[in-house]
Amino acid sequence: MRLGLAIDLDTCVGCHACAVACKEWNGQSLMGGAPDYDAWGKAPTGTWYNRIRNYELEGDPTYSPHSCGTSHGTAAHQPLSKTVNVPMSCMHCEEAHCVTVCPTGASYKRAEDGIVLVDPSRCMGCNYCAWACPYGARELDEDKGVMKKCTLCVDRIYDEQLAVEDRQPACVLACPTHARHFGDYDDQQSKVSLLAASRGTQSMLDELGYKPTNAYLSPRKPVEIKTELPIRAGLSDKAKAFVNRLIQL
Amino acid sequence: MKPALSVIFFTVSSGAGLGLLVWLLIASLMADHIRMDGATFYKGALIAGLFITAGLVSSTLHLANRKNAIYSLTRIKTSWLSREGLLAVLLYPVAGLHLAGLHFGWPQITPVTLWLLVADAIAILFCTGMIYGCLRTVPRWNTWMTPTKYVLFGLMSGAVLLPAVLSLRPADVGPVGKPMVAILLLGLGLVLYFSYLLKHPRAQHTINDALGFKQGKVRLLDVGHSHGTFLTNEFGFSVAREKARLLRWIAIGSAFVLPMVLCYFTKWFWAASFVCIAGLLVERWLFFAEAEHVVRLYHGQQSV
Repeated sequence: MRLGLAIDLDTCVGCHACAVACKEWNGQSLMGGAPDYDAWGKAPTGTWYNRIRNYELEGDPTYSPHSCGTSHGTAAHQPLSKTVNVPMSCMHCEEAHCVTVCPTGASYKRAEDGIVLVDPSRCMGCNYCAWACPYGARELDEDKGVMKKCTLCVDRIYDEQLAVEDRQPACVLACPTHARHFGDYDDQQSKVSLLAASRGTQSMLDELGYKPTNAYLSPRKPVEIKTELPIRAGLSDKAKAFVNRLIQL
Repeated sequence: MKPALSVIFFTVSSGAGLGLLVWLLIASLMADHIRMDGATFYKGALIAGLFITAGLVSSTLHLANRKNAIYSLTRIKTSWLSREGLLAVLLYPVAGLHLAGLHFGWPQITPVTLWLLVADAIAILFCTGMIYGCLRTVPRWNTWMTPTKYVLFGLMSGAVLLPAVLSLRPADVGPVGKPMVAILLLGLGLVLYFSYLLKHPRAQHTINDALGFKQGKVRLLDVGHSHGTFLTNEFGFSVAREKARLLRWIAIGSAFVLPMVLCYFTKWFWAASFVCIAGLLVERWLFFAEAEHVVRLYHGQQSV
């Protein structure tokens, strides 16, 4: 199994519900907490397994097909045409360099389902794995002095006391726009595999060779709205134009 | 990257100690030729040991959970940090064996332990460099120059310390000659440092690569947190360009040029060592402060 998330950059509205649900579940889970520091103070901060950032995309012809004015080419594309919300958590990479650099063996990738986890009873809090992660997925729990990260809610997804539909990561269940999907990428017929294949995915620092498991579904292309009127060619068009002119007289 | 003082001190101090150990052991092979008596050798070994041990102790200061540090020797198959730790721990029994061999006169043991120690010291320096050099997430470090720098700068500062140690010889032996190995290594270090500065990769990854929108301009609108996070604290450090330029000249002058002048023209070897190590501390601070992690792309930086 290769468990992971598919995150839809088209439908994500950036509401942070996934991060809050993650914090709520993992804040008190067996895997060990996500503390806040100075939560009611002047500079509140904390350990989060999931962070949502918000970007604007300008001048990408794929996502801004509406031409401005009469000129064509990139200069003609409408500015500020696309906003994307990007929730980021552990990608559960196939080539998880965070695991190989770990000197204590606290970081490990499970053979059975590919989930990358930290064993807090071995972690010495050297931050080296966080250095090796390009996606900023790992954050130190300053209370316990051990590294924390997304567990893909490993304490939920196998819990047989939960109803089958609830055996999913908390972030997936919380998402109000169904922008997050959970499944097995080794199964070609799973929902996430089909989504990734049909929608296309974003390459996020793939050149580093980490082979992230999570997929970010590319935003759908907007429908182009033509600003020019269709060319009038046929006899019926000419007749219609003639009638229009008569009416406007 | 955040320049953690404990790590900066560790890499420079252990580096100098290991370098001194290497040169001291090689010098002990020609002790008669350079007129190094036993007492001076032991004094030098003590100084090297202090440098190495102070560095290793300091390296544990940045650990958030020190009680698990013992596990850090268990992943030598994959982790350079683990390899470094194990080799550093192995240094002590081998050094003890070598000292015992010298003390009790075991001529069949000492050559073996001597070259083991030399190899181990250089291997530790190499592993320290590879801890940083193997990180694909920090393009500026991910070059063969990083481990080369650690090995060369360690041997260099050790070579500057050796004449200082030799100057502890009894007064009747006479003054120490010109330390040509130190001067040569300082020159090599300067060349390597300049080539590192000139060659370091620029703009290897862009914010477009980070988000997968290959065309157009990507800008961060909202980072999603109101104050700093672990990530901004660890990777968000920036050094002002003017300050970096000033520090770089200080590092070049203090780590390489001034010790070279002192070694060639004067007998102030302790001053040369002190200046060299101070310069290397500045150089190491810049090494961390100027390195940029790719996660900065997700925080809005256009290229790393």
